[in-house]
Amino acid sequence: MQAQKVQQLFVRYKILALLIAVAVIWIFFHVKTEQAFVTPGNLSNLFRQMAITGMLACGMVFIIIAGEIDLSIGSQLGLLGGVAAILTVNMGWGTWPSIAAVLALGLVIGAVNGFVVTKMRVPSFIVGLGGMLAFRGLVLYITGSSTIAPAPDDLIALGQGFVPPVLSVWIGAIIFLAMVALTVRRRVRRAKLGLQQAATWIDVARIVAIGAFIFGFVRVLNDANGIPIPVMILLALLAVFTYVSTQTVFGRHIYAVGGNMEATRLSGVNVARVKLVVFALMGLMCAFAGIITVARTGSGSPSAGTGAELDAISACFIGGTSMRGGSGTVYGALVGALVMASLDSGMQLMDVDNSWQMMIKGVILVLAVWVDVLSGSNRNA
Amino acid sequence: MSQYLFEMRQIVKEFSGVRALNGIDLAVRPGECVGLCGENGAGKSTLMKVLSGVYPYGTWEGEILFDDKPLKAYSVRDSEQAGIVIIHQELMLVPQLSVAENIFLGNEIRKFGGVMDYDAMYAKAEALLARLKLKDVNVAAPVMNYGGGYQQLFEIAKALAKNARLLILDEPSSSLTSSETDTLLSIIEDLKRDGVACVYISHKLDEVARVCDTVTVIRDGKHIVTKPMSEMTTHSIITAMVGRDIENLFPKVEHDIGEVIFEARHVTCWDVTNPNRKRVDDISFEVRRGEIVGIAGLVGAGRTELVSAIFGAYPGRYEAEVVIDGKPVSIRSPEQAIKAGLSLVPEDRKRQGIVPLLGVGDNITLATLWHYATAGQIDRQAEMQVVDAEIKRLRVKTASPELPIVGLSGGNQQKAVLTKMLLPDPKVLILDEPTRGVDVGSKYDIYKLMFELAQRGVAIVMVSSEMPEVLGVSDRVLVVGEGRLRGNFPSEGLTQEQVLAAAISHAAEGPAHAA
Repeated sequence: MQAQKVQQLFVRYKILALLIAVAVIWIFFHVKTEQAFVTPGNLSNLFRQMAITGMLACGMVFIIIAGEIDLSIGSQLGLLGGVAAILTVNMGWGTWPSIAAVLALGLVIGAVNGFVVTKMRVPSFIVGLGGMLAFRGLVLYITGSSTIAPAPDDLIALGQGFVPPVLSVWIGAIIFLAMVALTVRRRVRRAKLGLQQAATWIDVARIVAIGAFIFGFVRVLNDANGIPIPVMILLALLAVFTYVSTQTVFGRHIYAVGGNMEATRLSGVNVARVKLVVFALMGLMCAFAGIITVARTGSGSPSAGTGAELDAISACFIGGTSMRGGSGTVYGALVGALVMASLDSGMQLMDVDNSWQMMIKGVILVLAVWVDVLSGSNRNA
Repeated sequence: MSQYLFEMRQIVKEFSGVRALNGIDLAVRPGECVGLCGENGAGKSTLMKVLSGVYPYGTWEGEILFDDKPLKAYSVRDSEQAGIVIIHQELMLVPQLSVAENIFLGNEIRKFGGVMDYDAMYAKAEALLARLKLKDVNVAAPVMNYGGGYQQLFEIAKALAKNARLLILDEPSSSLTSSETDTLLSIIEDLKRDGVACVYISHKLDEVARVCDTVTVIRDGKHIVTKPMSEMTTHSIITAMVGRDIENLFPKVEHDIGEVIFEARHVTCWDVTNPNRKRVDDISFEVRRGEIVGIAGLVGAGRTELVSAIFGAYPGRYEAEVVIDGKPVSIRSPEQAIKAGLSLVPEDRKRQGIVPLLGVGDNITLATLWHYATAGQIDRQAEMQVVDAEIKRLRVKTASPELPIVGLSGGNQQKAVLTKMLLPDPKVLILDEPTRGVDVGSKYDIYKLMFELAQRGVAIVMVSSEMPEVLGVSDRVLVVGEGRLRGNFPSEGLTQEQVLAAAISHAAEGPAHAA
């Protein structure tokens, strides 16, 4: 009976199981690396690494919920990063105009992908496979297969800079207060509508846990110069994407399209437009990730982003997104990204050979989804 | 030795504290056919899942005796080994495989080394089909070459290949024409003579009356009555199922019929895979304000194609002119159709009606989400108020509007889909098989709603294969046969025979009309 209750708890609060998994991974690496893992410097680095996968996962989770897939995002990232480097280094554009141009280009590339999928009705798997080759080829062509450096300082600051510690504390406090306000508002509203409430202790425990997490997060990162700017951008994206998925008409339509496209179409929803926008958003996220990659490394490398699609897709699935579309969460995908980044970071720190890193990550992806299947939460999906 | 082949005693099944079955008894003698009746959600499917081993022995209470021995089935395989075979409402055939391969699927006749013995399988398949009086079937041809009626019989052949002694048929006639249903029922009578026992689950009580010897009615997971068919009438079965006396199946209400509000002109649809074949051939009709028009015809006559073309949802090439309130409107997508004042409740609820994982409320507001949003942001409070009101108005049975709709019974899902398409406030409501797979109580609610809408001046077009429904609800009946309009009758005094005669009138004349 007790075991059953624990299982039910995990099915309802899948995120809890995932966070425990992250904790276990961290403790494991911390012990194995002689206390070198959970240190401000390493965690700052880990979150910064995670930011890029996280940005891609934000876009990817919408794509998968809508019942599609995009395999070309690694190449899109490379291409858009390459363009950012060429604009700033070779053509002498200012950093901000370049960023605006690359974001716009990302949106266009994504929209073109979406157009081919929805209007020309080529399966997204194929469009992604084709794009993977074509975009990688394009970036090799425009960069002449060579790394473009050095990126201007104000661009590099975006990738390597920090939010000052004092400001970080304020940001942490504001996020915490916002979470409290949102929880209270939700309870009041649900009470008014006569809907079932989560038990008070659960919400209180949630708030306390979130508070403790934010406090620890800011505290640790402040010991290493503050919150890294890419992480700050990712947090903002998390807020925006969560808002879109839960509060907007467009968000509801994404779930509906993925859950049953025919029924949604017959309800008068323009399903092609919903999918097209989802692909366009994916392109935009690739632009963010491409720019941050250039900013972090200080250069535009034609091989940047190789294999990034696998990390992003894995993050979504580890984070509980249904393979058949129709269900999933943005925060789940980001915790999935954290799992992938933690594995990367820990194994690098332990000096594990690259061959082993790949094997272990592959096995863990399959295991994570297997556990999800066992828990039965995807049975109806 | 008891007189029964098979007995279920005091079956209790719980789902996380909720009793879906609460002490059900069911018994079948050899060669007997027992009709199992109950509204959707009464527990029929749960009972059948207990019986067939989908819910393994030990996950429910009570006992099952087969041949006087306790049956402990841990899987479907176990129950099939004992001789219990279930034939589901949705056919479980692989369309690309041959008839024989389907009949022996999972049960293949093998030669040494696991090689399939096609000769033996073909010979045995032919013998089985001969027993079912099917002579013109090529058992080596793919199943998809044959229509729904044949496929249902292949399922029975498949069950016989497993040496079924107890055959459970779950809504076997839901996709059959009336002549195909006739064939099916006479085959069941033959099987009974051979000593095969049957449990026949159906909402179509005339079929139950014809083929069953005994009737068992369950309601809300409880056993209500078991009596010989000779002591029951259709009316008494319905009363037992619903738990209240339904005086009149069609609660017809007087409604005024006004001016012409909707016209469809020259609707023509071409087949998706064969562009030379017309599925709908130049059909025109009009509907008046407050009028209920029934569209009758045989399965495959082109009725669904007709209404989906009008709604802008036909997947292939089509032409249609639609006039609403005297103004021609251009409709190329459901989105435009709804804007123009049309709503369509589609035929296949599971595939076209519900988004299974979304909540009941989210499904209800799917077509009108923009009404509750400012600048793209949903106002939950406004949305939930509408949802609550609609759930109460249509008596949708759900514990919470947030639960996934997939957990509701068919009738309640249909009510939710119906209210979804009513929220846009249509001038013309098109219903495609609105009561398919829906229990008697929900059917009554749906008819009542249709009459209410007609009273408010909504024009209603209803496609239906159930003749009593067409005659009982409509003001006027259109008959479609082979893609053409074959008749347009006022329903006053119209008989089933007249409609059927119109539906098949030209079919006999052969290819002259097929062009």
